[in-house]
Amino acid sequence: MKKFLLASSMLIASAFGAEAQTINILMESVPDTRYVQEMLPEFKEKTGIDVQLEVVNYAEMHTKLVPQLVAPEGSYDVVIVDFYWVGEFTKAGWLQPLDERIKADNFPVDNYIPSIMELTGRVDGTTLMLPFYNYAMGLTYRKDLLEDLKHQEAFKAKYGRELKVPTEWPEYLDQVKYFSEDAGIEGFKGVVNQGQRPDPISMEWSNYLFANGGRYYDPETWQPTLATPEGIAALTQYRDNIQKYGPIGAANFSFDDAFNVAAQGKAYSYLTFNMFRPVYDDPASSQVVGKMEIAPVPGGGLNGSWGWAIPKSSPDPDAAWEFIKFIESPEIAKKRALLGGAATQKQIYEDPELIEKYSYYPQLGELLAYAQNFPVFTYTPAFVDVLGRELSLAVTDGKDPKEALEQVDKEFAELLRKDGKLQ
Amino acid sequence: MTEIRLANVTKTYAGGQTAVDAVDLTIHDGEFFVLLGPSGCGKSTTLRMIAGLEPISSGDLFIGERRMNEVDPKDRDLAFVFQNYALFPHLTVKGNLTFGMKLRGVPGPEQERRLAEVTVMLGLAPYLDRKPGQLSGGQRQRVALGRALLRDPVAFLLDEPLSNLDAKLRAQMRTELVKLHRRVGRTIIHVTHDQIEAMTMADRICIMHDGKVAQVGAPMEVYRNPADTFVATFTGSPPMNLVQGRLENGAVHFAEATLPLDARTGAGEVTVGFRPEDLSLAALPNRLPIQASVVAVETLGADAILVASLAGGQEIGMRVAADTQLEPGSPVSVHLDPNRLRLFDRQTGKAIARMA
Amino acid sequence: MICVGAATFAAAAPTLRAGPPAVDGQPSPQPEDKLFMTAAIAQRDRWFGFAMTLPGLFALVLVVLFPILFTLWTSTSDFTLLKPSNDAFVGLSHYTQAFATPEFRHALSVTLAFVVAVVILEFLVGFAVALALDKVEHGKAVYYLILLFPLLMNPIVVGLIWKMFLHPTLGIVNYVLSLVGIPPVDWLGVPDNAFWTVVAVDIWHQVSFMIVLLLAGLASLPKEPYEAARLEGAGTIRCFFWITLPLMRPVIVVTLLIRLIFAVKTYDIIYIMTRGGPGQATELVSYYIYRRAFVGLDVSQASAMAVILLLAVLALTAWLHRYMRSLAQ
Repeated sequence: MKKFLLASSMLIASAFGAEAQTINILMESVPDTRYVQEMLPEFKEKTGIDVQLEVVNYAEMHTKLVPQLVAPEGSYDVVIVDFYWVGEFTKAGWLQPLDERIKADNFPVDNYIPSIMELTGRVDGTTLMLPFYNYAMGLTYRKDLLEDLKHQEAFKAKYGRELKVPTEWPEYLDQVKYFSEDAGIEGFKGVVNQGQRPDPISMEWSNYLFANGGRYYDPETWQPTLATPEGIAALTQYRDNIQKYGPIGAANFSFDDAFNVAAQGKAYSYLTFNMFRPVYDDPASSQVVGKMEIAPVPGGGLNGSWGWAIPKSSPDPDAAWEFIKFIESPEIAKKRALLGGAATQKQIYEDPELIEKYSYYPQLGELLAYAQNFPVFTYTPAFVDVLGRELSLAVTDGKDPKEALEQVDKEFAELLRKDGKLQ
Repeated sequence: MTEIRLANVTKTYAGGQTAVDAVDLTIHDGEFFVLLGPSGCGKSTTLRMIAGLEPISSGDLFIGERRMNEVDPKDRDLAFVFQNYALFPHLTVKGNLTFGMKLRGVPGPEQERRLAEVTVMLGLAPYLDRKPGQLSGGQRQRVALGRALLRDPVAFLLDEPLSNLDAKLRAQMRTELVKLHRRVGRTIIHVTHDQIEAMTMADRICIMHDGKVAQVGAPMEVYRNPADTFVATFTGSPPMNLVQGRLENGAVHFAEATLPLDARTGAGEVTVGFRPEDLSLAALPNRLPIQASVVAVETLGADAILVASLAGGQEIGMRVAADTQLEPGSPVSVHLDPNRLRLFDRQTGKAIARMA
Repeated sequence: MICVGAATFAAAAPTLRAGPPAVDGQPSPQPEDKLFMTAAIAQRDRWFGFAMTLPGLFALVLVVLFPILFTLWTSTSDFTLLKPSNDAFVGLSHYTQAFATPEFRHALSVTLAFVVAVVILEFLVGFAVALALDKVEHGKAVYYLILLFPLLMNPIVVGLIWKMFLHPTLGIVNYVLSLVGIPPVDWLGVPDNAFWTVVAVDIWHQVSFMIVLLLAGLASLPKEPYEAARLEGAGTIRCFFWITLPLMRPVIVVTLLIRLIFAVKTYDIIYIMTRGGPGQATELVSYYIYRRAFVGLDVSQASAMAVILLLAVLALTAWLHRYMRSLAQ
């Protein structure tokens, strides 16, 4: 894919020669990049501007971006920013404000789902990015088992409540326990977790925290609030799910290790990024085609997204804006969603044509509406590292959840102080 | 009485080439026996087969009455001294010397006694705590010999032990080896490519050529009566002069000279051989004069070698007094002692018995 | 090629150390004038040689010395990725901070355990295989090829392959174990298991390095001491302990040294397989320093830790080198 993209972008570049206006963008090799690629001929036709995409792996992106952002004139006209980096990029002042351009062109920014706009759009009242695609987390579960009358009766007899799509967190925990211990399916588990340090465990556990009504910090003071009854409950439940109700090895599972267990039909549920939902229906990588569904995580799952931005080092900011305006226009956003893109605008999830194609779009819209954000500040990645370490120690090494979370709070506070957020 | 006997011993390698070809040898007890030959003649392989380092392809090896072909090297009761000494570089001289005794479980006091004896005999006492890397070539040589002596074997097998030494030291070690042999009285089989070593040390010499035994005999016997032209040229320095001649009418004709033979019949092409010292410039009685012209005089110090050209252009060497002054190109008359003349078959190179 | 070269160097070391073997008698005296002339030529040759090595020296300074000096400088200032400049001098505070960081100390201890385990086990396995291969007469090239295969693989690929093989429910290893009735093993999800699993994967990947180096060493050993020992009646085991081991000592020391230095830098398989987890069971120091710089953005602090690591490795190398030289005497 990467080769194909490079080859085709080189072809485009050579076909139009040096006179043509060209903008360069560094992108990650993910499906949404492919959908952007497919829109480029239309953009060229409309504006005459060529777009060259340099596609690399996530691990390379940050190291490639920083030198170009620091330089007075970099080589990228447009950059995409993971919410992880928003704090760092804005603190360093590498991005151009977009408000005047939005106003001048009357760009419909209100289309964006507010939580996503907050994550990779507006920072302290200034619009520095426009959301590109989301990777909010949802609860994927076995619809077929949930609808099985035998299980419905057995579950009700044991737990005294209906077996249905969970809307309350304790309800979900009961289901996990039921499918691990009571459902009588050989080698089947109620949940598969992604317990590897640092991102998988931190991202997944965030859902448990929010579901228990916990939060990372006090929004008024930035005081960390993890070593609270809610946080401790979340970590205890998470540890139990891995150690008691999950498959062995989940304590070191990455995204794909865990997804494969779910896709092989060996677990009832898996909290994962919503963009993996369609993969369950791909017979090439799934044994559970048509059997999995996605729902919002009770209490609101973890949000995640990428944003488009124009760096201050952009050689051609006007052309860059032309591109962002085009690629994020409602019409093109819908086209990308039709190809499979993970949209960030509200109206997409209400579009009849799209709902026709993706039956789970209403749930997805709801999921995004209630998704909650991870702390965004300069040291977000460092914080994830700390959080992942302590969570993993509590899950695998017998560290007391309260002690672990106190340690996180302590180091979180240090990072926030270093960033000037916490006084 | 421990005789070492090789009967029809052959060594053939996996590739098919034969290194030693049907060798028959008997080495007497207590004898200093030298295996002499150019490199690749099979002399080292023969020695290694005796030691048991190379399996024998066919034939039999006896030590005393016992057939040894399949006997483990350590049970043959032989000591081997390697060309590059094969000392253990990480052990001191003492460690090297006592290695074998330790292995065989010789008791400590006995070890010390024998070590002292050998170190005194070889003058190694000052070096006992040194490692081989800190020794000179001669010292290493002595350690290797000492290691062999400490085995107290029925025979010592020496594989070109002097070839890594410089000329002066080599001469010195030759004498030492002979003295040592006299002192211990055991059989020594000594492999060398140096005919001087062979001549000076051996009781008997076996000259090997292309895997075969060319001649076995006492040094002077081999020197005087070489069995073939190979032995003739391989021994002596400068080697025996070989000149083309013809046997006819009871006389041998070569270089416009004719030498009647006492009792000789037959006719044919022969090679005439005589050593450089069998010629003289002076016309001594009963000598055969031959006309030649001077090519060069090579002064050696004690004496000189006159290189002269015979009629027909063949060059010969002749031992002359050191102060001999002759102009190159000038004619000279040389005088051959007819009794020392040897005849070889031109075709086979084998010696022709001259006296009936 | 590198492997063979290193072994040759090692094998040659004792001889180099001992100097040329002394010949009996004195070195032949050189006439005075000739000596003088030789000295003049030597002087000129030296200058010429120096001039010829200048470009190489310059390149060496540029690629080796400069980054090290820059790291040293950075470790005493406050270079971060947010403020990428070395303009504030903070003395040795990053060094004291490094030792005050429990995670860094923990990473050092895990790394020490990992390096010791990996080097010792790889050496034992590698030496055993090298000894076995040294006796092989036919098809050596085939064995070499098979053995070198893991070594030629990218560590990322090695990590991915083994992570797949060791997947507790979907991997082939636990499947094979289940065929003989062994319950599934949680290779990477339990701290102790994860440590030894990572050690085992590293052995699989790197043991060939030991084999190749040791094999080159064995092949270059002189044959005669073995024949001498055989005549004295030494068996295989005696020969190994009395001859092979002592003769191989310089090669062994160099092999261990090189492997040790590489083991300290182990990073890729940790990144792919465990990210330092579960808990902190596989928190190797190279991976920790990398995160300090590029996740924590704190390049100066990471530089100080890197310098500490460099000094530790340097000290170890110097000690081993001296030990090796002492053996050669």
